[in-house]
Amino acid sequence: MDAWRDFIRGDWCEKIDVSDFIRRNYTPYYGDASFLSGPTERTTRLWEHVKMLLKIEQERGGVFDVDTTRASSILSYGPGYIIKGTDIILGLQTEKPLVRALNPFAGFRNAEQACRAYGYEIDERVRQEFSYRTTHNQGVFRVYTDTMRKARHAGILTGLPDAYARGRLIGDYRRLPLYGMDRLIAEKQRDRRIIGERDMTDENIRLLEDIARQLEFMNALIEMAAQYGRDIRRPAECAYEAVQWLYFAYLGGQKEQNGAANSIGRITAFLDIYFERDMKEGTLDEAHAQELIDDLVIKLRLIRHLRTPEYNELFAGDPVWVTVSEGGTGTDGRTLVTKTSYRMLNTLYNLGPSAEPNITVLWSKNLPRPFKEFCAKVTLDTNAIQYENDDLMCSIFGDDYAISCCVSALREGREMQFFGARCNLPKVLLMALNGGRDETEGLQIGPVGEVFPEGVPLDYDKVVERLKFYLSWMARLYVNTMNVIHYMHDKYAYERLIMSFHDTEPNRLMAFGVSGLSVLADSLSAIKYAKVTPIKDERGLITDFITEGDFPKFGNDDDRVDSIAAWITEYFYNELKKTPAYRGAKHTLSVLTITSNVVYGKKTGNTPDGRRAGEPFAPGANPMHGRELEGALASLNSVAKIDYNFCRDGISNTFSVTPGTLGSNTAERAEKLAAILDGYFAQNAHHLNVNVLNRQMLIDAMNDPTLYPNLTIRVSGYAVNFNKLTRDKQLEVISRTFHDRM
Amino acid sequence: MIVHSIESLAALEGEGLRCAIFLAGCPMRCAYCHNPDTWDPRAGREYTPEDLFRKIKRYEPYFRAAGGGVTFSGGEPLLQAGEIVRLGRLLADENISYTIDTSGCVELDEDVKAAVRGAELVICDLKFPDAGTFKEYTGGDFSRVLKFLDFLAAEKIRTWARTVIVPGINDKEEELDRYIEVLRPYVDSGAVEKYQLLGFHTMGFFKYEKLGIKNRLENTPALPAERLSDLQGYVNDRLKTPSPAIL
Repeated sequence: MDAWRDFIRGDWCEKIDVSDFIRRNYTPYYGDASFLSGPTERTTRLWEHVKMLLKIEQERGGVFDVDTTRASSILSYGPGYIIKGTDIILGLQTEKPLVRALNPFAGFRNAEQACRAYGYEIDERVRQEFSYRTTHNQGVFRVYTDTMRKARHAGILTGLPDAYARGRLIGDYRRLPLYGMDRLIAEKQRDRRIIGERDMTDENIRLLEDIARQLEFMNALIEMAAQYGRDIRRPAECAYEAVQWLYFAYLGGQKEQNGAANSIGRITAFLDIYFERDMKEGTLDEAHAQELIDDLVIKLRLIRHLRTPEYNELFAGDPVWVTVSEGGTGTDGRTLVTKTSYRMLNTLYNLGPSAEPNITVLWSKNLPRPFKEFCAKVTLDTNAIQYENDDLMCSIFGDDYAISCCVSALREGREMQFFGARCNLPKVLLMALNGGRDETEGLQIGPVGEVFPEGVPLDYDKVVERLKFYLSWMARLYVNTMNVIHYMHDKYAYERLIMSFHDTEPNRLMAFGVSGLSVLADSLSAIKYAKVTPIKDERGLITDFITEGDFPKFGNDDDRVDSIAAWITEYFYNELKKTPAYRGAKHTLSVLTITSNVVYGKKTGNTPDGRRAGEPFAPGANPMHGRELEGALASLNSVAKIDYNFCRDGISNTFSVTPGTLGSNTAERAEKLAAILDGYFAQNAHHLNVNVLNRQMLIDAMNDPTLYPNLTIRVSGYAVNFNKLTRDKQLEVISRTFHDRM
Repeated sequence: MIVHSIESLAALEGEGLRCAIFLAGCPMRCAYCHNPDTWDPRAGREYTPEDLFRKIKRYEPYFRAAGGGVTFSGGEPLLQAGEIVRLGRLLADENISYTIDTSGCVELDEDVKAAVRGAELVICDLKFPDAGTFKEYTGGDFSRVLKFLDFLAAEKIRTWARTVIVPGINDKEEELDRYIEVLRPYVDSGAVEKYQLLGFHTMGFFKYEKLGIKNRLENTPALPAERLSDLQGYVNDRLKTPSPAIL
């Protein structure tokens, strides 16, 4: 059968260009959700079985089982099924659902600790095998300087991917169904010939090795699919095959590496083309189109990686960020919403709310109104989706970008990201006041500087001058640390399959991050507008402050302090850019913490804004809770002032509002929620996580998890099952501002 | 203007997304008041109409998205009617509309007349249906409310009426019949579009303690949501008014 029958031909036939294929062939959908189908009897049966397994996983402390007999790779496991004969979309990471694979390539010790945390020991043969090879982790620590180690130890830089895979990549998995692996291999071989004609510089040698490694795993994926009786050498010929091929491509990447947040991309407009064609040919009806998406989503909800307790501290709730991007507007002005966008959202009804896949709606003022209101309704019913500003991102990334992880935009298949960590901004301030010493352990980390005198109120200009000095120093250290990590990652834990679904010479971004922005902004505001007097301890370190008088606080749409938050991000970004990034990557910055704001807070002493040592920071770019005095929209307006041009890796804002604040019935609430999103994004704000719930419900769920077993809430850039959070994180979520009416 | 507080997301205080400005000062002493902290006319921050206008203008993107605007509440906003008129002119220049949420128990002077004429909508309380209970529970003069409603009707200013339902005071159908009697001519003539009941709640009790003011209803429970919904249905049926938001 001709796989491309009835498709409108174009550039995409001559070269790899999925976005051109979509543009020429997709059917925008402007209608409402009334066409959707519920789950088939088969879907419900399969999902009930999975729910039983998920319950066992929870009962076993979060890990169902670990296969410690082999290191995970594309071909290390035979085929796996949930229920053989009942699965439609085939393929599991290991041979049984929820059994976690062992992936020591990025760090053996990390894998070992993760196993031990759940009572497993790595098989002796695997241990032997890895005693002869260098992992990414070993490579990094061979090179880390003393200062890098100290900054890491003190928690000024936290979450560095130096012991597990870096993640954050989105392969253009749509390429496999559209072109088939034979064609993709031929394209890579062509690239190899072209690059082979160049001078053999470091970079060209590296590229040639990249291609060789990619080809090896492209062939392995053919074999993996063959084990399931599928021939992915050729393109997909029908809707089922399109979904299946795409999933195989994604699954192979998940077997190969264990990075956090390797997202699946923007897939539904692409798949919709196959659905429409099959429907026209009379071989697919709505119930079965929905069933394909439901089955794909069941598989995506089963993706697991084995993590250490330290990792879970940073990123609570066992997330994998299978982020799916929906909606948006094409550069030609047509909506990119299709019926399959609705089908994807409908999985939250057919299978119930879930944190994964992390459904991200690319919000544009031009989205069809019925879609806007349907999304808002999904939020009201499930709290499972997040929103990002498509009009803003499209103007920079074009209309075929997708969100990786939480808030990072990447052009599909054309762009990749070197991700890493966050810089703890309030600690940099405390270090600046203490002449380069860390305020908790007293370690000299930065260059030796003057310690501010005790008993003398802090002078704003002087503090800013010293802060800038240490931020500059920090920025250089941060870039250099990331360069070491990604050099070693490419060398020892290169993502062969995922990168094969990228252009051979992708545009590279290096994604930096900051945490505690609102704490730093409020602290500087206190120094500027109130009177802040430092207090020293017996070591001569400034560890506390007397703050007298009131001061403007971030989150009240008050320019006096909001402008401080804005200049900090701009300044830090510009300082990062001064140090060249590995492989010519472009620097980007995020204001995103996931749930790590709790850990960052734990490691940070008293701050001049009145926050006590150990108290959590606000998540992402959020204002500190309890300091927003003029309500929800004032808070949104403050965050909207942080300029995306300096934070192109995303600005995360998590917003909780009680249902009663929005209206008295679902239709009214949906309409008002949609209006809030329109108003927020019209100001070039970037991201909004929305929770519509009552604080009391969370308190009840914390005290008795059986009351709301599927309670899903948005945290910073992703969703979690509330019951999977540790108690300190549950308490932190409960303490956040809930915009409520009196 | 003395502003007690600002609530930038007050979606229920009128139509669309609302930014509510709570103005300080109230001559009434309603037994069920949940904002006794707004009674003192000095309890707030002073703004010029220009400053407040700049603040409100920041919410324009939200107003545009949902057809909302500002709501002046309080306190009794019409105590500062002259300032509302000045601010209203600035808002009108930018096509931002305003709603006034008032007790209606005010002297109809020129400033008050101008302030309500400029409003897109007036939400007027009908706290009690007769002079005796009105005086008893609010300390105010009922005849002023009727004059105020007459003025709104004569000027064809869009109006919603509102009543707080307090258990044990006015939560019986037969008690509501008396409110309906007062409102019927206004509803029949089209002067009052909607009649909205609010449930008494206890979330403002802490303010009485904090301010050291005697709370006359400290032993009164909140009105159950189902009861409010039933009563709202009852008045809708009798007055043939559309169902407003149930708060």
